[in-house]
Amino acid sequence: MFLALKEIRHEKLRYGLIVGMIVLVSYLVFVLSGLAYGLAQQNTQAISSWQASKIVLNSDANDSLSQSLLTKKTTDKAKLTQHEAYLGQAGVVAKAKGQAKLSAQFLGISQQQFIYRRVKVTSGHKPVTNRQIMVDDSFKTNGYHLGDRVTLNSTDTTYKIVGFTHNAKLSVAPVIYGTLGTWRTLSHVTSDFQANGIVTERASFQPKVAGLSTLTMGQFINKLPGYSAQNTTFTFMIGFLMIIAMVVIAVFLYILTLQKLPNYAVLRAQGIPAKVLVTTTLSQAMLLVVGGLVLGAALTLATVLALPAGVPMGFNIPLLAGVTGGILLTGLVGALIPVKVILNVDPVSVIGG
Amino acid sequence: MAVLEVKHVTKTFGHASNEVTVLTDVNFTAAAGEVSLVIGPSGSGKSTFLTIAGGIQTPSAGDVIVQGNGLNQLSGKARDALRLNHIGFILQAYNLVPYLTVEDQFKLVDRVKPQGNLDTAALDHLLAQLGIRQLVNQYPAELSGGQSQRVAIARALYQNPDIILADEPTAALDSERVKVVGQLLHDLAKAHNKAIVVVTHDLRLRDYADRTYAIMDGKMTVA
Repeated sequence: MFLALKEIRHEKLRYGLIVGMIVLVSYLVFVLSGLAYGLAQQNTQAISSWQASKIVLNSDANDSLSQSLLTKKTTDKAKLTQHEAYLGQAGVVAKAKGQAKLSAQFLGISQQQFIYRRVKVTSGHKPVTNRQIMVDDSFKTNGYHLGDRVTLNSTDTTYKIVGFTHNAKLSVAPVIYGTLGTWRTLSHVTSDFQANGIVTERASFQPKVAGLSTLTMGQFINKLPGYSAQNTTFTFMIGFLMIIAMVVIAVFLYILTLQKLPNYAVLRAQGIPAKVLVTTTLSQAMLLVVGGLVLGAALTLATVLALPAGVPMGFNIPLLAGVTGGILLTGLVGALIPVKVILNVDPVSVIGG
Repeated sequence: MAVLEVKHVTKTFGHASNEVTVLTDVNFTAAAGEVSLVIGPSGSGKSTFLTIAGGIQTPSAGDVIVQGNGLNQLSGKARDALRLNHIGFILQAYNLVPYLTVEDQFKLVDRVKPQGNLDTAALDHLLAQLGIRQLVNQYPAELSGGQSQRVAIARALYQNPDIILADEPTAALDSERVKVVGQLLHDLAKAHNKAIVVVTHDLRLRDYADRTYAIMDGKMTVA
């Protein structure tokens, strides 16, 4: 560590450039990870808030809630309990006088069922009639208020915002909670149809009814339109960035090590063990990576604070720990590459003939 | 008392038709309290001799005995430890770590070998003797060639080794400094019972040597 610190202090520009590179790579990894997590959250926030285990859909719906439609006849056979809830979904465009149009996901739920109980109200109250709706907080940031009358799609019917709820997003769109009756109106279906799907909090729930298929919530989330493709894309980008970080660190340390070989040869000639020189290189790499990570994290924090609220960026401790650990690991692997050169340094090379 | 013995050492490089013999049946003894001078021109094999005597290279034939330890029988780690604790090298070039100040060059030795080095007063005296006490906060790039060489000598002596192997220690020094270094090596040998081996082509050092050897085409003779 002594040699590592002394060299960094003496070669400020050289090591500053390396740290700068690591800052940029870690900043990119942090931002991409935050975006990936934030987007994933916005796909599934509403689903997570229900704390459900499974969802039951029409078996011909290709695991898509919006493609599924369940008749009353079918749902009656499913023998539902208080642990199950109907769910109706409709893609809508909300508009209020003087406000911008907002694309949203309308979710019709029943007052008597568990989803309704689990949805948290941040202001106002939950809808109790077919002309009332409760909307995600993002409506508030777009200028909507309690009591505003909103039209959904091109209908003339207006719906009153009676409540706001926090973190209610589905497929990256804000959620509007309303009644199943409203859902029928918006979906243009008769009362013969009960819902798009049934959500259950029981892991053991398995209706033995022809024409129904049951998915775990994990399976259902992975089938959300674009969700898997988006996550895979981000995972690849982050993975490639990690590899690039490793290569950059390895190349820089390799070049620096080559430049230092005459010094290392002198130290080896004096009997200084190769272990000391290897430890110096590894500790130097760790110092550079940790420094780069700290600055990269600070830059990310500044970016998060400067970004508009609409940018879907989110972080949590496991995510940050994973990203930090990943970059540290790639730095360590990169630093191991010049080790062989150090071990093979020949002290004879510095003694003239 | 002999602390370093080179016995029938031959060193060859390459194979078959490319084989070159650099040292041929070299025998040499360095005793505590003596300065041994090995004089030879460039390419005579004197640096190869020095590296073999210091356990950096292994001989093709023969053995080197350092304080009773046959180097052929020691592992690489054990030879490292022997060098660190008992042999000080004064090298001709690249002999200082460029990102360490003069003072830090000594601190590095302390970190790797915490015991047996010179104490503060002895180091201060040594630096004064070499005329480099005022340079402790300088980096090698800020030193002249002669100053660097004197710092390298001080660093080798700081480890307080029993044997000092010096490769052209006066190459970058003027006549006055040669006298200082020559006298210093001589005094170290006498006052502290060190065995000092100097390979050089600088005949000015002959005045300070107890024994002088000549090396030519890999063969060593007593001069």
